[in-house]
Amino acid sequence: MNHIPQWVLPAAITVTVPLPSYAVQYLTAPAAQKVCFPECDQFVAAHVKFTPAQIGAIEAKSGQKELLRGQEIWRALQNGKLHGFFIVDYVIGKHLVIDYAVALSPGGTVKQIEILNYRESYGGEIRNPDWRKQFVGKQPGSQFALNEGINNISGATLSCRHVTEGVRRVLATYDVCLK
Amino acid sequence: MSVSNRVRRARPSLGTFVEITARGDNELKLHRAVDRAFDAIDCVHRQMSFHESASDVSRINRDAYDRKVTVDPWTWQVLKTAQRFSSESEGVFDVTIARELSIWNYLPQRYRNVRKGNWRDIVLEKRNEVRFRRRVIIDLGGIAKGFAVDRAVEVLERAGVPAGIVNAGGDLSVFGSKSELVHLRSPNSPAQFSGALRVSNRAVATSATYFSRRSLIDGQTRRAKIRQLSVSISASDCMTADALTKIVFVLREKSAPLLVRYGADALLLKRDGSPRWIFQAHAA
Repeated sequence: MNHIPQWVLPAAITVTVPLPSYAVQYLTAPAAQKVCFPECDQFVAAHVKFTPAQIGAIEAKSGQKELLRGQEIWRALQNGKLHGFFIVDYVIGKHLVIDYAVALSPGGTVKQIEILNYRESYGGEIRNPDWRKQFVGKQPGSQFALNEGINNISGATLSCRHVTEGVRRVLATYDVCLK
Repeated sequence: MSVSNRVRRARPSLGTFVEITARGDNELKLHRAVDRAFDAIDCVHRQMSFHESASDVSRINRDAYDRKVTVDPWTWQVLKTAQRFSSESEGVFDVTIARELSIWNYLPQRYRNVRKGNWRDIVLEKRNEVRFRRRVIIDLGGIAKGFAVDRAVEVLERAGVPAGIVNAGGDLSVFGSKSELVHLRSPNSPAQFSGALRVSNRAVATSATYFSRRSLIDGQTRRAKIRQLSVSISASDCMTADALTKIVFVLREKSAPLLVRYGADALLLKRDGSPRWIFQAHAA
């Protein structure tokens, strides 16, 4: 049966009202831990605060600047046995701020990547360092209530290369801090 | 079955972000089904990425002029479909525009001595075997996302997920017992939304040149089609919707016979964001 799509122009959304940002929370970190390691019963925080030497090593290995002061890392355990690492990372593109999680095996191979929070903005505020600071280590709050009602978008979204580059940097962090 | 619970997850893949929403009653079951749906997406990425050197596409681009290349059945299926769309659009849709995309730096220049050619230089005589008549290169970016979405939906439906939506960088498919509202970006301002479509058991794909003025290339002229508009196609499957967006973007109303054949609807958003149906398929 052919379902003809109906064109809907909700009153709240008109052509002239630009939305400065669009944000989606997919998973909280604890929910993502269970998704990546469903067999594990314990996630032990093992966060790392980078020393200058570690930052130098991570940058040398990854070829990228390390913008974070440390990394949020959890050891995923089942019956006390290490099943891998759950690492939260942040990437900032020209129009994107994304936090995401990488699940690594104990040996440092990527098992899974899950986006935690996706934020898109064309308002230019992403370039403001003060605006960016509010995201590190936090969950988005009511400032993104503006995008309520927009759940599914058809039309080019942005490339995921910042995240794939971020994963390479996280692997360098594993080499330098966890191996 | 109830759709009271919802699982919504996203991962980077296919060069973009792939988002899967699954509705049902058991969250754990939904997560497992979504895991498997993402596996299907990753399979498509691994075989059809222009950038991954071990993909079928890369192996074809390196070797198919010199010898026959054996590919994964899914890659074969996509290539066969691409050839069909090329034939039916008289070459407006043509995966060998990879050459022009590379020249314009929309794709990395990874291959030397690439010759001018077209879709007729791709030979698919024997199942799962590909060879080239000329030293062309291909990119499946105009069709593979739609195919990946269809495979993911198939996994979710087979797992008994009652409703949901798979969205790969804007190419999406809504399945099951709940309709979804799909918003379309304004062609001249991707941060704004012109309106929405209410979609039920249908795929929608959109082509526009929001971020890159030259990336929609007409396979016949081999030149970029620079228009400030957006074309959204709704069709029964996402691979069809995906391929048709490129054809309709170039041919506009002249693509009507093709839209009839596929039972697809085409919606144009003009520069000011105002919508115009150029074709709506009738209910069977």
